[in-house]
Amino acid sequence: MQARKPQPPILNPGIKKGKKSLYEHIEPWLFMLPALLVFSVFLFYPLFKTIYLSAFLTNSVGQPKVFYGFKNYLDILTGRYSASFWNSMWVTLRFVFFVAFGSLLLGLTTSLLTSKKFPGRAFASAIYAMPIAIASAAAAMSFKMIFHPSIGLINRLFGTTVNWLNDPAWAFPVICMISIWLASGINYIFISAGLRNIPDELYESASIDGAGYWRQQRHITLPSLSPTLFFQIIINVIGAFQSFTQVRLLTMGGPNETTNVIVYSIYLDAFRNFRFGSAAARSIVLFVIIMIVTLIQFRAERKVHYQ
Amino acid sequence: MKRLVALLLVLMLALTGLTALAEGGKTKVVFWYSLGGTNAEVIASMVEAFNASQDKIEVDAQYQGEYDDAINKLKATAMGEALPFDIVQTYEIGSRFIIDSKKMVPVQTYIDKTGFDTSVIEPNLLAYYTIDGVINSVPFNCSTPLMYYNKTAFDEAGITEIPTTVDGILEIAEKLATFDSEGKLDRAGFLFSNYGWFFEQWTGKMGREYVNNGNGRESYATKVAFDENGAALDLFNMWKKISENKYTQYIERGGTGQSRAAFAAGKTAIFLASTANLAGVLANVGDSFEVGTAFFPYVNAEDKGGVSTGGGTLWMVDSGDEAKMDASWEFIQYMINPENQAIWNAKTGYFPINMKAHDTDTFKENIAKFPQFQTALDQLHASGPEYVGSLLSVFPEVRQYVEDVTEEVFLKGLSPEDAVTKLTNLANDAIEMYNLTNY
Repeated sequence: MQARKPQPPILNPGIKKGKKSLYEHIEPWLFMLPALLVFSVFLFYPLFKTIYLSAFLTNSVGQPKVFYGFKNYLDILTGRYSASFWNSMWVTLRFVFFVAFGSLLLGLTTSLLTSKKFPGRAFASAIYAMPIAIASAAAAMSFKMIFHPSIGLINRLFGTTVNWLNDPAWAFPVICMISIWLASGINYIFISAGLRNIPDELYESASIDGAGYWRQQRHITLPSLSPTLFFQIIINVIGAFQSFTQVRLLTMGGPNETTNVIVYSIYLDAFRNFRFGSAAARSIVLFVIIMIVTLIQFRAERKVHYQ
Repeated sequence: MKRLVALLLVLMLALTGLTALAEGGKTKVVFWYSLGGTNAEVIASMVEAFNASQDKIEVDAQYQGEYDDAINKLKATAMGEALPFDIVQTYEIGSRFIIDSKKMVPVQTYIDKTGFDTSVIEPNLLAYYTIDGVINSVPFNCSTPLMYYNKTAFDEAGITEIPTTVDGILEIAEKLATFDSEGKLDRAGFLFSNYGWFFEQWTGKMGREYVNNGNGRESYATKVAFDENGAALDLFNMWKKISENKYTQYIERGGTGQSRAAFAAGKTAIFLASTANLAGVLANVGDSFEVGTAFFPYVNAEDKGGVSTGGGTLWMVDSGDEAKMDASWEFIQYMINPENQAIWNAKTGYFPINMKAHDTDTFKENIAKFPQFQTALDQLHASGPEYVGSLLSVFPEVRQYVEDVTEEVFLKGLSPEDAVTKLTNLANDAIEMYNLTNY
């Protein structure tokens, strides 16, 4: 978490500049070799293969058959699949925004609630951290019954007759809520750990200076927590971009594609529609978007306060 | 202590060595299946019984998730050289895709080789898997759609005539629906599941074709037929009627699990689902009310078509290893023998595909206990083999488009005419893309 900007290498003034032996050239690469090998197999090779596939139409088992150039990209960006693609883009961005910040907020609230000692704190902590131990598939299946239109708990409790998961107005908020809850456990754990690292003296001196609870949170907790929060936001954003299970099990991208997040649409394209080329093109677009989002986030890191 | 651990380790190694030796003479066959829950337990116990019954073949049954998951794994491995299994269970709509993958051997080869008598197999089920004149795979878990109704509610409402059309269902829905004190619908007359399979079945019930080229059976389909023969328009009009009926509700898409749960809880008087649900529905409902079953309803009163089979089938991999392929066929024959099919039927509600199963005690006891199952059999026998159902490579995709467009009709008020155009374009586009890259 203590990520710092790469520093320029400190050169030993005793070594002559510009004249390196062959071994000195190779040495750093030798050290990097294991990592490079792992990255090549699991990152670089799939990336280049995906770029390659995105230029083809594939047959049903994913072998490239017809060269298609940039048309896969054109199809999704402006052509025949564009309506569905831009819809899933919009759904994904909203989903990521709500889930990343929602689960952060929920995690922050719950960890502040349990930061002071009180009877039953261990129990409360266990409850708040619990979502981390629940498989998203199991949770999704439970929520399917909880939100069942005629025998579900929610409709019973509130006396409503909403078909939560099949109503275009409700499916998206419900999926967001479930995802926020699922992601809140990990947020709770990291933020709680972050809270415990804040020295008590800071709060003591603040209260001597007359700062109230909210002022203390605003000027001590938040700045001291900022590395944790920054890390958590990145984790949340990446996690939210990759959400799949809930959508697959609860709504299958529907109703009317209101929950068709981009990862699910890639899955549909590749594994239901046999269109690996178009799916590869979508993946590359997603890759570019996540890269941009991450770059923006690292720009925002300048506001993070490291002790 | 250390010595004890070492001794134990040596002992364990020796034991595994021994078992390996003992199994050395057996031909190992890997069987991928795709049924979960109680159905999986039945498969596991059948496999266990097979392994215990002889000492030449060892079947290793592996669960691979739902049909879609198994097909995806098949795709992923189909690119490599050898497939990691010898027998695979897939759904009926995967047939064209699997034939196109050219990795399987038609079971016809083994039927001819061993002189297996195919006349014992339900002809309507066998017809589905007879493609290009040969039997490609063995029907295993076969089902048809069925109408389930709450007989107690029917009696209370004084309804004696069971509806045979969707219009008939909508007419009695009002009488069957009940409301709570606040005037909200408590028990719906009918719950509608948006399930692509029903679209296929209803097309068959109307006696019309889903795709061209003899429903994809004379040669591979090049476009859908449901636009030109009016099947889609009739269906979307029917959907619209259902959506406008106050006593029915749209409940889910892509399956029937939600409506089944609601039915068991007494929240709907009628729902449609596969025959394979029968055992489960009866168990869920218990004594709370009497369950009736009837034929899957017609769309129009004058329709004369029939239902076709859904469910799964067993394929044999063309591994080139004669011993393994012989062993696989041996195992498949065991799975479809009369006694096993009777057990399979009684425990799951799928059809006994072997008609000789009807003579077994297991079957007779079961049908006496659950006379509702007779409806499923009658319906199967009442459907002519000409309504065998279509073959289409991109069935999974088109099924999703059907559900997408149906959703729009229900939830966005898309007009039936526009729905037909939209669905036809999506489906034909998918077929064209597939044919371009695969044939």
